[in-house]
Amino acid sequence: MVKTILMAVLLISGFSTHLSSADTYERHCVECHKELPTSLQRMFMRYLLVYGGEENVKAGLKHYLKYPIKEISVMSDLFIDNYGIKKKTRLSDRQIDEALDSYWERFKVIDKLK
Amino acid sequence: MLSDQRAMLTKYAYIQTKRLKVLHHFFDERIDYPRDPRFKSAIYDMELIKIFSLIKDENIRFDKEIYITNSHIHLVKTLDEFYLGTKYLIIEVEDSGAWRGEIWKNIIGYGSVAFLFFMLFGLYLAKLFLKPMRDSILLLDRFIKDTTHELNTPLSAILANIEMMDTDVMVEKNKTKLSRINIAAKTVSVLYKDLTYLTLEQEKTNHDEVIDIRELIYDRAEYFSILAQSKHLEYNLELEESTIKIDRRKFTRVIDNLISNAIKYNKRHGTVGIELKQGMLVIWDTGIGMNEESIPFVFDRYIRFNNAEGGFGVGLSIVKKIVDEYHMSIEVKSKEGKGTRMVLKW
Repeated sequence: MVKTILMAVLLISGFSTHLSSADTYERHCVECHKELPTSLQRMFMRYLLVYGGEENVKAGLKHYLKYPIKEISVMSDLFIDNYGIKKKTRLSDRQIDEALDSYWERFKVIDKLK
Repeated sequence: MLSDQRAMLTKYAYIQTKRLKVLHHFFDERIDYPRDPRFKSAIYDMELIKIFSLIKDENIRFDKEIYITNSHIHLVKTLDEFYLGTKYLIIEVEDSGAWRGEIWKNIIGYGSVAFLFFMLFGLYLAKLFLKPMRDSILLLDRFIKDTTHELNTPLSAILANIEMMDTDVMVEKNKTKLSRINIAAKTVSVLYKDLTYLTLEQEKTNHDEVIDIRELIYDRAEYFSILAQSKHLEYNLELEESTIKIDRRKFTRVIDNLISNAIKYNKRHGTVGIELKQGMLVIWDTGIGMNEESIPFVFDRYIRFNNAEGGFGVGLSIVKKIVDEYHMSIEVKSKEGKGTRMVLKW
């Protein structure tokens, strides 16, 4: 009985963590990007082209979210001229990390190729 | 060769990079990894995490540019732009081993040509460097040839006249003087015979005959007795009956040289020993001997170990030539200060 309860608690806490990171991404990223003509998938591919591996992509993105300037953006000049540079994020480091984990999991190439 | 394989693999890597570029731009509408029947490939990101792989041997050596494992050749290509996140593109082809055969063929082919070239070049250089030495030997040979011609007549005249002289009516003082002339003339005669043999006679055809060696030794010992007496040497002859089939002229040169050396390099009041058995002749002396290092060079031409005695250093080289010609063997045993034993076997 105790074992079952413990299992249930663990499952629920894991699921809620997953939900919360997905939630951060949905609420703070997808909402704004809806307005833009370039999809999050295409932007992800741009980051992947420039930064390569998972750690690098996440680090690059985190830095840009915290200190967004034109010079380090991976987007084209035409895009930036039309839509400008995003505002500096107000999310905490933990929230950024959660959102980036979610973003990576959603669009990563690994395990998708056939 | 492996460099040809490298060029081919680099070409494949270029083709695959182009395909990855296209796939990158159309991801994730297209998710089929580009395949090619000519090669297999794999892609890894900069953290060395596999993105996708078709290759058989997945123990990738990222520190190498090209390597061979399990009969497969692998090329590791680093991309500048990370299509699909790819930092390392690995191209794998079967290693048929044909390039190794090609390498061996080239090594043997070019190696043989180079070896031949260097050998000929070395031969040319050796000839060039040895030319002065060869020239001086030729000059010496020519000089000996020319002078020996002129020595024959006066030498024969001296020896014949000494033999004809009636020593019974001679005063003791003149007898001694005549004896000295006789010794000097015989020494020159042996030298003359060696030189004429070397320069003129050795090319002549052999007239082999059965020779009574004991008789010949008695004859030659008698001939040299005047030389032996001058050094107060005594003969110790132990001669058994023995014969040999050989050119008399040549065998006389062998005996003459061995006996005259035994006398020449002996100490005063020493002994010259001659032992003759069937198939073996030993001529020994109680003279100055030689050190062990000199023995291997004793038969070399123009080699002399003692400048106190006259001669050109050709005697034993003539002996060796004749001994080899008749498939006989000659052995030298010598101890410095004790004497020398020359053992001739046939």
